Amino acid sequence: MEQFIYYLKVSLISIRRAPLPYALTIFILSVGLGVFFANATFYYQLNSDPLPEKSDKLFFPMLNLVPYECSTDCRTPRVLSYSNVEKLSQTDIPSQAAAMYSADGYLRQRADQTPLPVSIRITQRDFFAMFDVPVLHGSIWPDNSARPEVILTKATAQKLFGKSDVVGEKLLLDDRNVTVSAVLDDWQMLPRLYDANNRNHLSEADDIYLPLETGYDMNYLSNSQSQTFDDTDYRQLSTQGRTGALHQLQYWVKLDTPAQQQAYRQFMTNLVQDEKAAGRHPSPPNNQLVAMRDIVSYFGGDSSDIKAFALVTLLFLLVCLFNASHLSLNRYLSNQYEFSLRRALGASRSQLQLQMLADVLIMALFTITGALLTGYGGIKLMNNLLPANRLFSDWDLTLLLGLLTVAVICSYLVTLYPSLRASFGSLNQQLKE
Amino acid sequence: MSFYLLFKVLFSRKVVTGLLLLQLAMTLALLLNSILLAKQTHQQLNQPTGLDVDNTLLVQLKPTMASLRVYPALEELLNRQLDAVQAMPGVIAAAYTNQSAILQGGNNGNVYIDGEEDRTNQPSVPMYFVSKDFFNVLNSDVLQGELPQHSVSLDNPVQPDVVITKSLADKLFAGKPAVGQQLNRGRVAAVISDFYGQRHGTNIMFNNIQVAPPYSVDWGYGILLRVQPGQAENVRQQVDKVLRNVEPNIEILHVRTLAEQYQRLYRNEYGLATLLALLSALMLLVTMVSSYSSTHFHALKRQQEIGVKRALGASKKVIFLELLSENWLCTAIGALFGIGCALLLNKALSQVITIPPLDLYLPLLASLILLVCVTVATWYPAAIATRISPATATKAL
Repeated sequence: MEQFIYYLKVSLISIRRAPLPYALTIFILSVGLGVFFANATFYYQLNSDPLPEKSDKLFFPMLNLVPYECSTDCRTPRVLSYSNVEKLSQTDIPSQAAAMYSADGYLRQRADQTPLPVSIRITQRDFFAMFDVPVLHGSIWPDNSARPEVILTKATAQKLFGKSDVVGEKLLLDDRNVTVSAVLDDWQMLPRLYDANNRNHLSEADDIYLPLETGYDMNYLSNSQSQTFDDTDYRQLSTQGRTGALHQLQYWVKLDTPAQQQAYRQFMTNLVQDEKAAGRHPSPPNNQLVAMRDIVSYFGGDSSDIKAFALVTLLFLLVCLFNASHLSLNRYLSNQYEFSLRRALGASRSQLQLQMLADVLIMALFTITGALLTGYGGIKLMNNLLPANRLFSDWDLTLLLGLLTVAVICSYLVTLYPSLRASFGSLNQQLKE
Repeated sequence: MSFYLLFKVLFSRKVVTGLLLLQLAMTLALLLNSILLAKQTHQQLNQPTGLDVDNTLLVQLKPTMASLRVYPALEELLNRQLDAVQAMPGVIAAAYTNQSAILQGGNNGNVYIDGEEDRTNQPSVPMYFVSKDFFNVLNSDVLQGELPQHSVSLDNPVQPDVVITKSLADKLFAGKPAVGQQLNRGRVAAVISDFYGQRHGTNIMFNNIQVAPPYSVDWGYGILLRVQPGQAENVRQQVDKVLRNVEPNIEILHVRTLAEQYQRLYRNEYGLATLLALLSALMLLVTMVSSYSSTHFHALKRQQEIGVKRALGASKKVIFLELLSENWLCTAIGALFGIGCALLLNKALSQVITIPPLDLYLPLLASLILLVCVTVATWYPAAIATRISPATATKAL
């Protein structure tokens, strides 16, 4: 330990002797790593798996059941009609299943109050179990039938009532009476993969939850995507919307085993064949069963700006590493005489490498501090310039540890070649110089 | 000064020169692609919209009571709101619309000539349901026919006439007169000048407009105001109060000029171009630091050599030029490698974003920027090196 403290002292003396090259090395490495940290944060968070235990078991089925014959563009619609979902629900192969869409509404306690604008997820009971949504008070709807009951998030309950335990309270949702049946605990699934269409996976969770059947009865239209493939009047959602080709639903199923997945694929194939045999839906079959972990890329919602920036920040980091190595090499070559003198006085090469490790430690400390500051500034700047990704800018422990490891490795790499070159130089020649 | 000697000096320090060349090449690659992206964003932000974006205000709003979102209460509300905003000082014209111009996507559908769907279908054409002053607000030129003067309900057994933009008319009718032709959306009453509709549409200038109250306002609706030049800010400050005086049960989602709407539409491209520009500036700074330290260090290491040259009659200017020439040569070689790297980076970036290919003059421009930066960075250490006295040569003896 005493020896190591000595090495640290020698390193500090060496820094004080030529502070400018050292400061430049730290500056360049900090900037390179800081920019890398900032982008790596977004990249890591955007590509993280919010449900690692079950993301390979959750699937989005899509069918090309539309009342027209496609000639050129035969892509399967990204959203399903109510009747399509009904047909897909006619099997017990999935262990859980939930259809859903989102809408906007206004919530208030009394008609004379200022309404609170809310985002509504209109869905079925399995939604909460499928996506591990924690319930704080009350209970989830017992079945999928229509009922004038809403589930609030904790934040919405506190905004409206100033407390979270509000089960049984009455509310007006767009002037219709509803009762609070449950309150959710703090929950934010990021990325929100159950709603990846139109890049909605980058958004925050909704404020309230309403049963699907009630949503249709109340004529709530999707605020994300709705398509009509026939003359269905979308103002008549509760009647025509249930039978016509008005597509606005997302549907998720939980298929626990490969056998279940195969069986469900076969079920979808049979369903489409039966429909065609019945003379409905003339378009060619194009069934899709997309796993949750692939859903963003299936919908083409990958954050291309972050990917592009990742490429260039990696390049920038490389340039900074080359530059810092270059500066470090100059610094070590300037000190080569000192290294040679030590070698001449009996120091072994491994002892010189220990000295180098002390240098790395000090450099890593300064670099990490600089890189974290630069990274923090970079994240603030990116939030400002690319605000769509702002929910993905938090550092967690895994990410921080990973980033710190990268910083230490970079500091080591920057010092490795220069120190080897200095300690393996020709002793006689150096002493002559 | 011979190239051979310059090369010899450079390659006498292979590792340092190699590192410097790599940095220069990568810096040029990034600089080139950043310039390309900035140029593309600039073009996008300055493409013609066909609209007076600075003097057109968009108020996006929604009634908060369900009873106000259904007819006839909705139509009555729309008319009261229009009357109120039209009376505001500075407002030239006002109109309601189910959606604004200059959007990413929105309400859109297929448009085709009746009976010729297979041949003429144009998908994703924005559908506007507006009040009759919409064309006055957008300051549209009527190129063919006459604008509808009365609002007709979409539930009417006879569809309301449609007004289409010139690009859509040209696509559907290939230069033939469009007025009186029957589309799946209705009879064409007029053709107006192009304006920017939806970015995700088949063509940004394709638009289909009907003078009719919106089907539904579940997604909110817009009130467009054309204001006198310089009055946008005054009107923006008052419009909230005016609309709330008409009906307090509304939520005003935003009030923006169409210029602001346009900026928001290309915000991501602008953000990425700004980030790359900042990164390029940082990269140039890093390269300058590298060039500075390289010249400074080697001038120190070559003090005796420089002293001997000075003693043998080399002037300060020759020493100065020699040191600069070493860096210029290094920059030129780095730039050559850099063009190759830029092509590779351009190809990689085009896999994830839309970026134009490299053209001929940009590499020259970027190399020039790099050369200027390297020259600035090496100027000071080269000037210091010229101060080495010829007497230093005696230490070599």
